[in-house]
Amino acid sequence: MNVIIMLLQIVVLFILVMLHVAYATYFERKIIGHMQVRMGPMRVGWHGLLQPIADGIKSFFKEDIIPEQADRPTFLAAPIICLVAMMTSLSVLPFAKGWVLADINIGLLFIFAMSSLASYGVVLAGWASNSKFSFLGGLRSMAQVISYEIAMGLSLVGVMLLSGSLNLSRIVEAQGSSVLGMYLLPQCIGFFVFFIAMLAETNRVPFDLPEAETELVSGYCTEYSGMRYAIFFMAEYIGMMVMASIGTICFLGGWNGPFAVPLFPPLWFVLKVYLFMFLFIWIRATLPRYRYDQLMDLGWKLLIPLALVNIVLTACIKAMVG
Amino acid sequence: MQIRYKPKRNWLAMLFQTEILQGMALTLRRLFSRPITRQYPEEKPQIKTGFRGQHALVRDPRTGLTKCIGCMRCAVVCPSRCIRIRSHKMKEEWNRRVIDDYRIEALRCVYCGFCEEVCPVNAIVLTEIFEYGAYDRQALFFNMEQLLGNWDRFAARMNHPVEEYVNPFWRPRGLPEQNLPAAKRMPVSAEWSGDQQVVGKKWRQHHGSEQSCQGGVDV
Repeated sequence: MNVIIMLLQIVVLFILVMLHVAYATYFERKIIGHMQVRMGPMRVGWHGLLQPIADGIKSFFKEDIIPEQADRPTFLAAPIICLVAMMTSLSVLPFAKGWVLADINIGLLFIFAMSSLASYGVVLAGWASNSKFSFLGGLRSMAQVISYEIAMGLSLVGVMLLSGSLNLSRIVEAQGSSVLGMYLLPQCIGFFVFFIAMLAETNRVPFDLPEAETELVSGYCTEYSGMRYAIFFMAEYIGMMVMASIGTICFLGGWNGPFAVPLFPPLWFVLKVYLFMFLFIWIRATLPRYRYDQLMDLGWKLLIPLALVNIVLTACIKAMVG
Repeated sequence: MQIRYKPKRNWLAMLFQTEILQGMALTLRRLFSRPITRQYPEEKPQIKTGFRGQHALVRDPRTGLTKCIGCMRCAVVCPSRCIRIRSHKMKEEWNRRVIDDYRIEALRCVYCGFCEEVCPVNAIVLTEIFEYGAYDRQALFFNMEQLLGNWDRFAARMNHPVEEYVNPFWRPRGLPEQNLPAAKRMPVSAEWSGDQQVVGKKWRQHHGSEQSCQGGVDV
């Protein structure tokens, strides 16, 4: 019986997340359009509201082209690795008190593991496509992973120290429901590092080096088409959502808000996640891409030392106060 | 002159990355400004006088035929050589030239408007109609009947009587009055003749007020 309820919950979450992904693309195109004094999609439905559905149908029926020289099994597996890794991280996210599929004690660690796996998908896609552009994209993704995973892990150590737990629900509860309880203020350095690492982790502008539209013709997904390309897209948007959720849970106090919402407890969580999504899009509309070496510089020379300083400071202050 | 590529920043600006914040503020302001997009098939652009669109042969109200006299000036001046005229002399009527056919390949035309400028009798005109795309090439190789038909369609769309229609290109700019053929000594608005003609930079200043209320972009 429990299994059936669990499955039902999984299906509901899956559907909601897929809808979210579809409309996140719409949201992004609209906002970037208006920021560039354009209108964005306007044709399909009222103000283009059905655009994501049209896109979905289109990519579903597009021809699936596999290059002759590609490493076939890896080529086919890469997008699925990406998507599965990203979807799996969804299971440990607490959307509200008790609204979590798997309330495991290593939640944060699990998410790190899964998001690293997702970059394997990108690297493998770059390798398997047997194309120069894809290969460069995969290479860059690799370099990005080794310079940002560390900074990201270290930036959240401060949060772990303060809350004394890796369980995401426990981290939210440790922050309490007041604004002052949020880890945003005591962990401002950690948040800064986390935010930049989060942009890099999700391959978003200004760190979209693996998928550099302008120089690498979409980098690792150059050779992909149809549904497989769409799967990469889904993985990217789910990744954005997972990272935004981690930011919300660890720094903005998760589902806690100024007052409890009776019918829909995750309201505050969703609002905060969308704030992060808006920031992602806003940054994409504003900033140009970092150069490869600048990115490594930033990762190794600025973010990792900052994160280490943050850990030492947090530990010292906690030892003195607590 | 020395160019400083990296302007000096004080440590506060460095710490808070004020330049990035400035950029973000700019994009945020643009988010709430009105987009300049024109939703084309629903919102038509405002066509100004002197727009060079679909070709037409003016129908002479007296004869009901073209005004063309077969002087071949347009065919000669045309930079893309898209005009073909076929005519013969009418022996009975004091060797008057009669046009058998007048063909324009609209696909080759570059819409420079030289043909209307050189035409001594104002027979050819580039109308303000610009939506005449077709699915086959044949529909865009205009012969004389089609060109006259184009004129009729354009005349039907006009608000004022056909006799009063004056295309600004019919009067070549920068030429003294006595050098023009009789038909071309016609009154054109001041901004299209003589020294007051509004072209280039002057045009933008002239129409500046209209442009800004259309677009709504404050630069």
